[in-house]
Amino acid sequence: MTEVLHVLRCMGFAELSRVADAAGVDEAEVESALIDLAVDGWVTREMGAWGLTAAGRAEDLRRTAAEVEAAGAKGVVESAYERFLVLNPELLDLCSAWQLRAVEGVAVPNDHRDIAYDERVLELFGDLDGRVNIVLDELAKALPRFGRYQVRLRGALDRARGGALEELADSLTSYHVVWFQLHEDLLVTLGQSRT
Amino acid sequence: MIWRLEAAVDAPADVIGGKAAGLVTLMRLGLPVPDGFVVSVDACRAFLRDGNMPAGLEGARAGLPTEAVSVRSGAAVSMPGMMATLLDVRGSVAPAVREIFGSWNTDRARTYRTLHGIPHDLGTAVVVQAMVYGDRDEHSGSGVAFSRDPTTGAPEPYGDVLFGHRGDDVVSGRSATLPLTALADQEPTVWSALTDALSLLEKHFREACHVEFTVESGRLWLLQVRPGGLTARAAVRVAVDLADDGLIDRREAVRRITSQCLRAAAVPRMLGGERLARGRGASPGVATGRVALSADRAVRMASDGPVILVRPETSPSDLHGFAAATGIVTNRGGLASHAAVVARSMGRPAVVGAADLRPAEGTLITIDGTSGEVAPGNPGLTPAVADPHLHRLLSWADDISGDRSPRPGEQRLTAARAQLQRQANND
Repeated sequence: MTEVLHVLRCMGFAELSRVADAAGVDEAEVESALIDLAVDGWVTREMGAWGLTAAGRAEDLRRTAAEVEAAGAKGVVESAYERFLVLNPELLDLCSAWQLRAVEGVAVPNDHRDIAYDERVLELFGDLDGRVNIVLDELAKALPRFGRYQVRLRGALDRARGGALEELADSLTSYHVVWFQLHEDLLVTLGQSRT
Repeated sequence: MIWRLEAAVDAPADVIGGKAAGLVTLMRLGLPVPDGFVVSVDACRAFLRDGNMPAGLEGARAGLPTEAVSVRSGAAVSMPGMMATLLDVRGSVAPAVREIFGSWNTDRARTYRTLHGIPHDLGTAVVVQAMVYGDRDEHSGSGVAFSRDPTTGAPEPYGDVLFGHRGDDVVSGRSATLPLTALADQEPTVWSALTDALSLLEKHFREACHVEFTVESGRLWLLQVRPGGLTARAAVRVAVDLADDGLIDRREAVRRITSQCLRAAAVPRMLGGERLARGRGASPGVATGRVALSADRAVRMASDGPVILVRPETSPSDLHGFAAATGIVTNRGGLASHAAVVARSMGRPAVVGAADLRPAEGTLITIDGTSGEVAPGNPGLTPAVADPHLHRLLSWADDISGDRSPRPGEQRLTAARAQLQRQANND
């Protein structure tokens, strides 16, 4: 149950199918967990999407702090976050390069007709994925739930390689969105919150 | 190889880097540049090849008038934000130069070069200068100044100034800046020196330019100059105005506007008038709506009409608000930020890094995701067909091609540019 609350905390508002996919658990089980969390007042469902209440965010912060404390993982997470912050601007450069190209000095939407360019960007995503996996390997040793990001990032990359061009930067299951949630997770796990 | 920065230096940008070449130009024009020297691109290549540092660094450093120096990268090709900058360095300068050489090969810099087709063995020059302090006293500050408005092309200086701070605070967006014209009130002597310098530079480059500057105790110092940096609509206006000013001829004005630029200039833009703030356009398009200050409010307010979501920066908890909003503004972050990537993915116009925007919830605002401007109310749109500068440029294009038949602007420009190309080939 902790898992579903925390997964949703790092996602924002999301439909059941996306929560189940992120948690790596089947929908029926996740829905049952969400209903229990709703009874406790920690999550709410609005316009078809689930999200945390203010009390739910406070509860998740408390549980996550306890989890890090119990695993003695603070140092590992801090060091992982530092290394993540080196990779983060590169990922954002890559997403931007996938969405926009400079043509004659003017930024224009990438129309994906230049296959060589797309392959070059895709290859750079693969290279970056290799490096973020090293960070996630170490994190997952201390806090196994971070291993799920490896599966999700790899899944998005594989779908993009298979021709689903929106799976790098332009869908709610894209490499960028999973990475964005990982960024949020690291902040929440360190007890820092974006203002 | 080490070159002292002075007007007499005769070396191209691929030897001493773009930044140093600009500084030499400033010195030749008699403009104020802090004393310094440049470590050439060759020295960086040698370091990357065999780890050898150039000889003579500490000697050159001892020749500078201050103990504290700034150490900045400067490749022949612009790679903004990719490499290290070290300010207020004291003692031995070699470790700083070594760090900047090393920053050529960070993973991010390598990725950037692969994306932009820049060779990995190019290397960067390093500029070492006497440190000047924008945070020294109340008559000090830092900023960026454009010779013309880079968004509209209007022929008056435009930029930002931050009193009592160093240049890195201006770039980071951490502190709220003032419009450049604040200098005219607070430091009139500096203002007049700066505007004189900008018009001198325009005459030299025959193009709109921008400089980075520091004011130290009422004294102006220029730290960098670059031509260009205009939006497409501004580039058209500046080309026409420079031709009117006699700095370039009409053929050159037509030559400077590519068909890609013309296409970008044709995107409808917000009409002129009052502005609440200016950030950077991260996802194109114009959007009008009422301000929502949280994602939840955006979702609720969207049922009553269009909403502009305004956030300090974004987290995944804002994504449902992005989906509900017709436009996005952030106070922090750049063109490659989570907010920019998500806004583009959803096709929402977005302005990022509008540090000064603090609107009340419910206020009606309009944002322009091309220019980065934020205006109160709904100023309306100006389509490119109404732009008098564009009309004049295209009539000059017809003069060159000799064809005045009615046809789309891009064809008129392409015909003229092809004619210019043919003439150039025959010369």
